[in-house]
Amino acid sequence: MFGAGAMTNAIDEIRDSEMMFVIGSNTTEAHPIIAMEMKRARQRGAKLIVADPRKIWLAEMADVHMQLKPGTDVWLLSALANVIISEGLHDQAFVDKHTKGFDAISAKVKDYTPEEAEKITGVPAEDIRTVARMYATTKHAGIYYTLGITEHTHGTDNVYCLANLVLMTGHLGVRSAGMNPLRGQNNVQGANDAGATPIYYPGYQKVTDNAAREKFESAWGVPLSPNDGLNLNVMMKEMAKGKIKAMYVMGEDIVISEPNVSQVEAGLNQCEFVVCQEIFHNETTRFADVVLPGACFAEKDGVFTNSDRRVQRVRKAVDPPGQARPDWEILCDIARACGYPMPNYSDAGEVFAEYASLTPKIAGISYLRLEQNVAGLQWPCPTPDHPGTPTLHLDGPMIGKAEFQAVDYRPSAELPDNDYPLILSTGRTLYHYNSATQTRRDPGPVAKQRGNFIEISKRDAKIYGLQHGDRVKVSSRRGEVVAEAWISPRVRFGCIWMPMHFAESRANLLTNDAGDSVTGTGEYKVCAVAIEKVTTGTAEELELAGI
Amino acid sequence: MRQFGTVTSVKTANKIKTMNKIDSKVRANEIIGTKQIFENPMNESFSIKLNGQTVEAFPGETVFQVADRTEVKIPSLCHDDRLAPAGACRVCLVEVAGQRRLQPGCAWVVTPDMEITTESDRIEKHRTILYNLYMADHELDDAGLPIETGNGNELRELCKTVAPMGLEPVSAPRAARPGDDNPYIQFNPELCILCARCTRYCDEVEAVNAITLSHRGAETTIETAGQRSLIDTTCELCGGCIDTCPTGALIEKKAPVNLVQLGGTEAVRSTCNFCGVGCQLDLHVQNDKVVKITSPEPGETLNDGNLCVKGRFAYDFVHHPDRITEPLIRGTDGLLHPATWQEAISATAEGLMKVRDQHGADALGFVSSSRCTGEENYLMQKLSRAAFRTNNIHQCAAT
Repeated sequence: MFGAGAMTNAIDEIRDSEMMFVIGSNTTEAHPIIAMEMKRARQRGAKLIVADPRKIWLAEMADVHMQLKPGTDVWLLSALANVIISEGLHDQAFVDKHTKGFDAISAKVKDYTPEEAEKITGVPAEDIRTVARMYATTKHAGIYYTLGITEHTHGTDNVYCLANLVLMTGHLGVRSAGMNPLRGQNNVQGANDAGATPIYYPGYQKVTDNAAREKFESAWGVPLSPNDGLNLNVMMKEMAKGKIKAMYVMGEDIVISEPNVSQVEAGLNQCEFVVCQEIFHNETTRFADVVLPGACFAEKDGVFTNSDRRVQRVRKAVDPPGQARPDWEILCDIARACGYPMPNYSDAGEVFAEYASLTPKIAGISYLRLEQNVAGLQWPCPTPDHPGTPTLHLDGPMIGKAEFQAVDYRPSAELPDNDYPLILSTGRTLYHYNSATQTRRDPGPVAKQRGNFIEISKRDAKIYGLQHGDRVKVSSRRGEVVAEAWISPRVRFGCIWMPMHFAESRANLLTNDAGDSVTGTGEYKVCAVAIEKVTTGTAEELELAGI
Repeated sequence: MRQFGTVTSVKTANKIKTMNKIDSKVRANEIIGTKQIFENPMNESFSIKLNGQTVEAFPGETVFQVADRTEVKIPSLCHDDRLAPAGACRVCLVEVAGQRRLQPGCAWVVTPDMEITTESDRIEKHRTILYNLYMADHELDDAGLPIETGNGNELRELCKTVAPMGLEPVSAPRAARPGDDNPYIQFNPELCILCARCTRYCDEVEAVNAITLSHRGAETTIETAGQRSLIDTTCELCGGCIDTCPTGALIEKKAPVNLVQLGGTEAVRSTCNFCGVGCQLDLHVQNDKVVKITSPEPGETLNDGNLCVKGRFAYDFVHHPDRITEPLIRGTDGLLHPATWQEAISATAEGLMKVRDQHGADALGFVSSSRCTGEENYLMQKLSRAAFRTNNIHQCAAT
C-alpha cells in the first residue's frame, strides 16, 4: 500500500504506544511475545481496542471490544472512516502532502454511517464513534492485524480499509503507530522477500518487468519465463483440474493447511509425480512418489526474517538424524540433476551472499554483520554501513504519494442458509502450531489440547441440545469432521470456531477455497456449516474422530 | 535503557475497564485524555553523587537505573528489569544521605543533589547478616553454601562474598505441589527465597496470574489456586517464572537434572521456528542433543528475555523417533521404500523433467516453505525459475 508488504513499525515500539487497535488478530495465542509487549503497553497506560468476532483474551483487557459479525470488516472500518471524516478529525496536512484520492474516499464512506454499520456488523454505533475519535486524535496509535483480516474473499479490501484509516489520520512514519500485519510463520516474511512467490523475484522485483528479468537472467545465466506464475490457491485448483501434473512440496502439509482439502487430495491423486521434502511424515507425504528427509531449524544454518522485517540468524546446533540433510543442500543437488549448473556453495552463507547481492532491500546485510548485531538487522538495509530501518516511511510513504483505495462492502462468498445455518471461522491456538507435527510430539501442548474442538455459544448449544464435551459432527458443502463441543462465552450466537491443527479432524475439509481476487488467499474465516450431535459408539464415527 | 512507566496490574486494568462501562461519551473524553508519553521527553537532567562521583540522572529514575550507566554494581536478587521494583530481597540496600535507614536501590527514586553510597562498612555488615539469614533458610551443600542448580543460583554467588556465621537452620515448612503433573515446570520450595519474581512475572508480564504467594510467615510459599496442577490453571506454560527465578527454585522438568555436574552445556544462539515474532533462543546442547532452550538476557534481543510455551519447551520433535531419516521412493507395490540419496535425487529429477517434457514447465508446481530458511526459499524459487523456467512457485504466504 505504501511501498512494502510488512510491518511498518518495530515490535519493540509497541511498549511505548498510546493506543493499540488490534483487529483480526488473536495476538496472545498466535504471537504470544508480541502480546506481551501489548500487555506491557496496556499496563503503562495505553488504550487497547480489539475488533474480533470472538471475545479473545485481549478483549478481556480492552477499553472497547467491537465484536463484529465475521466478514463485515469493510463495513466496520468504513464506518470508522465515516466518523473521522464527517467530524473533521482527519490529518489534513498529511493528506495534502502524502496522499491522493481523498475526495473519492470521502464520497465513498459517506453512506457507511455508524447507525447503518450497527445493523450490519452488530457493533454499537456509539462504540464505533468512540473508537474513531480515539484513533484519530491519538498520535502514537498503531493498527495490528493478522489473518482475521486477510483470510477472506475480500481480504484485500479489508487491508485497503485499514490503510485508508492510517493515511487519513497520518499514523504513518510515526513511532509506535503505523500499520502492522503480524506474520504467521517464523519466515513467511523471509520466504516472500526471497522470491518464493509467483509474481516476484527476490526483493519484490516483478517477473513481468523486463529490466528485472534481464538482471536475473544475467545473474543465473539462463532465460526466464516472462509470465506470472500461479498462486498457491489457484495452483491447487489447477491441480484438481489436471493442469498441474507434478508437485514439489517442501516443508508444508498442504493436505491440512489449504482450504477445501478434499479437492487438494483429489488433485494430488491425479498428479503424475509428487515429491515431498519433509522432517516428518504428514498427510501430504501419503501422496509422495519420493520423500526427501530434510533438516529442522536446529540442524542447519540460515536466516529467518520475522514480522518486523528483522533478518536473524538460524544456527546449526546438532546434526540432522540419520541420512537427513539440510534442505538447501538437497535443493542444489536436485537442480544439478535437472541439468542446471547450481554453484557449489560451500555453506549457507554463500547462498545468502548471492541472494543479498540481487536484492537491494537486504544488500547491506551479511552473515558477518549478523554476528555483530545480536538483535538482527531490519530491512531496508541497502548498504554495508546502513544501520537497518526499524520504522518505515519516516519521510512520507516510500512510494511517494499513497493513494486511498475506495472499496465497497461485499458479503463473504458463502453465507449461512437453512441447510448450513452457522458461520465457521478457523484459526490457531497457543498450544499447537499449524499442522502440529511438531507440537503434538511434546507433552505440554497435548496435555492442554488433546484433540479437535469447536467453540460454540451457550444459546446455540441449547438449540442443538449440546453439553460441554459432547461430540459433534460439523459439516459443510465440502466435507465433514467430528470434534468436541466446548461451550464458550467467547463466540457469538450463530458462529462457531475451530482450530486448524488436527490431522484426524481437519478443519480444512470444511473451509471454502473461494479466493481473494488479488491474493488468492482462501476464505478460512467464513464458511457455512451445520452441526449435529454425535452419539458416540459407532465404528465409522470413531474413525472420523481419529480414535 | 529501560523506563518504568506508571505500572498498574492487569487486575487494575480490568477494574478500569469496568469503570469505563459508564458512558461512552464521557469515556471517549477520558480515553483521549490519556497520558502523553512522547510529549514529555526526559530532557531535564540533573546531577547526583554516586559513591562520591557526580553522575547525570533524569526525573523519575531509580538508583538502579542511574547506576546502570556507570561502573557501579549493586547486587540484587528480587530485581528484574521487566518488573516493577519490589524492594523485597533487601540485598540492594544503599546509604542515602539524610536517610536514617538503608534504602533499596531498585526502588529508591533519585532527586537532584542526592548523595548515594553503595559500598560501606554499614552496608557490608547488613549484607553479611542478610546472606547468613538466607542461608539459614536454604538448602546448603557440603561446603555450607546454597546448592548449585542446573539454572545456577545467584544466592550462592552472593554468599561466597561474606563470612559464614553458622546460624541454626530455620524450620520453614513451605509446601510444594507434589500433585502438579505439568510436564515442564518444577517448583522446589527448599530453594525459594520468596522474592516473588515468578509471581510478579506471571502477573505483570505474562498477565495470567496463575501463581501467587500464599500462607504466612515461615509457611509462605508459591501456590496455584487450590494447589492445582499448572495444567489446570490459567498458566500458559510460558516458563517465564523459571527464567526469572534467581535461585533455581523453579526449573525445567525436561532438562537433565545433572546439567551442572556434567559441566553445563554449550549454547547455540538461534531463531525460534514457530510463529513470526522471531524470538531469539539459546539452544543448550549435550551429546549432540538439544536438552534445554532459554532466552537471551532481557534487553538483548527483541523478545526481551521472554518466550512462549512453544519456543521454550516444544523441542522434543527435534530428536523424535518419528523423524524421517532416509530418502524414500514409492515402489510398484504402492509403498515407500528406503533408497540412497543418489537414487532419490535421480528419481526426483527424472519425475520433474518427464512432466516438463511432456506437458511443459507450467505443468509443474513448486511449493516452498515459510518454515524453511531464506536461503532455502531463494534456492527453491531459483530451482523453479532457472532450472525449469516456470514462475509457479509459492508458499503458504497467507495461511
